[in-house]
Amino acid sequence: MSWMLDEQSFCHCCQLLLQWSQQLKDGWSWEGVQGSEDGYLRKTVLRSVVIDSSPVWDLEGSGSQSDTHTSCHSRPDQQGQETEQALCVAPEDGDSVRGDIDDDDDDDDDDDDGVCTVSGGSGQVLQYEYHILFSCSYGTPVLYFRAVTLEGRSLSLEEVWSSVHQNFRLRLQQSPLNTITLQEHPLLGQPFFMLHPCRTEEFMRPVLQAAQNQHRPVNYVLSWLSVVGPLVGLEVPLKYSTLLHPAASLGSTEPD
Amino acid sequence: MADDKDVLRDVWFGRIPTCFTLNQDEVTEREAEPYYLLLPRVSYLPLVTDKVKKHFLKVMKAEDVEEMWLEYEGTPLKWHYPIGVLFDLHASNTVLPWSITVHFKNFPDRDLLHCTSNSVIEAHFMSSIKEADALKHKSQVVNDMQKKDHKQLWMGLQNDKFDQFWAINRKLMEYPTEEGGFRYIPFRIYQTMSDRPFIQKLFRPVSPEGNVHTLGDLLKEMYPAALPNDGEQKRYQVVIHGIEPLLETPLQWLSEHLSHPDNFLHICVIPTPTD
Repeated sequence: MSWMLDEQSFCHCCQLLLQWSQQLKDGWSWEGVQGSEDGYLRKTVLRSVVIDSSPVWDLEGSGSQSDTHTSCHSRPDQQGQETEQALCVAPEDGDSVRGDIDDDDDDDDDDDDGVCTVSGGSGQVLQYEYHILFSCSYGTPVLYFRAVTLEGRSLSLEEVWSSVHQNFRLRLQQSPLNTITLQEHPLLGQPFFMLHPCRTEEFMRPVLQAAQNQHRPVNYVLSWLSVVGPLVGLEVPLKYSTLLHPAASLGSTEPD
Repeated sequence: MADDKDVLRDVWFGRIPTCFTLNQDEVTEREAEPYYLLLPRVSYLPLVTDKVKKHFLKVMKAEDVEEMWLEYEGTPLKWHYPIGVLFDLHASNTVLPWSITVHFKNFPDRDLLHCTSNSVIEAHFMSSIKEADALKHKSQVVNDMQKKDHKQLWMGLQNDKFDQFWAINRKLMEYPTEEGGFRYIPFRIYQTMSDRPFIQKLFRPVSPEGNVHTLGDLLKEMYPAALPNDGEQKRYQVVIHGIEPLLETPLQWLSEHLSHPDNFLHICVIPTPTD
């Protein structure tokens, strides 16, 4: 059975996601294209990021992971946009990195929050803009994004790579078809980074199958976003799931 | 009547006479002569303009040289579009040679993708081929090919080798006889009247009732404004590889014979010249 999404279902999922986003003040909006029914979901986020310019990782190595920790605090600002602090730390040159995602490697130098600062690299505030479009060729959503400094300078592919959490960076580099490339935005015609969609059906299939088996409702776009978003610094709050399954939240409290 | 295979050759060997001139704001040590070149319609600008770059670098200092980019009458040219598409979209119905301006600074990164090596072009080209096959065959044909076959498609394009390219590409043009055509037709419709770069949607070559879809059927569904109303003067030209195919032409035939090497049918809708 094919789990491909069609355009109508995509729009429907987006409209639902939009309603929940408005309730959670998560900042998504729908942008239409003039003269057609086409459009996309859009969200902008301000992030304080350390750009590291370390050389290419040694993928063969199995040394211990060095002092790497990413801490994300997000608080919505008055316009309902999230402001995230994301510190991406660069290990020492020449260190090799394990390929596993491992949360237990806290360095001795960590303070109580688990936040490390890096010796090299500069911290700056960047504006990330995320778009969710529909790919009719692959029957899946596709994530496009771009980042600019506050002065309006576009980030290069190398800089974007270096702001991806290094655990994800390794995974992405090993599977080039899930990689980040610079592409023309199909509706705006401007350069955006894109996460290639051709493997989406592979990882969505077990999610959709499980949901069907357990008679649970599932929003394709939301589930997909919760997988791919974090790869490129886009947080998807867990509270969305309580809106998707209102019956499942016991002793319900208002989302704060 | 020309054999269908002749059409494939005519498409592959289409050329556009072009004149490259250096942007007058570039800092030069002496005056730069314009450079003339025949550009292959089916290739990509960075793949065929090495000689252009070398020619102009001779009159410039290294410190004044950044990534080269090309522009026509103020419009930055998108290198990831086939050359023939750029010409048909921006400069058809103008006097030849096509006049392109060469820049070495102020790269417009809000308009153009960077292209720092041939592997970027290869990745883009192969990505288009894979997307086209996703539409035509649910990716089955391209995924069944070996890596060396993929490489042969790229090398055929890069080295202008028609036979080498089509030895592999013919497999991408096959379909089960009982189907009557591909699953969906890979196409993109371009126009310059709005900001939207192109229209690309799902469209079958044959209707559920078994009717063969034509170019006119595609436009009626995707871009009805391109078609003339009854009795009206034709406001737009529908151009593929520099010609206007009859609207009655079956779309499946167009897809098999007038696609670009990336396996997409690139269709340009341009205003009819008034004079």
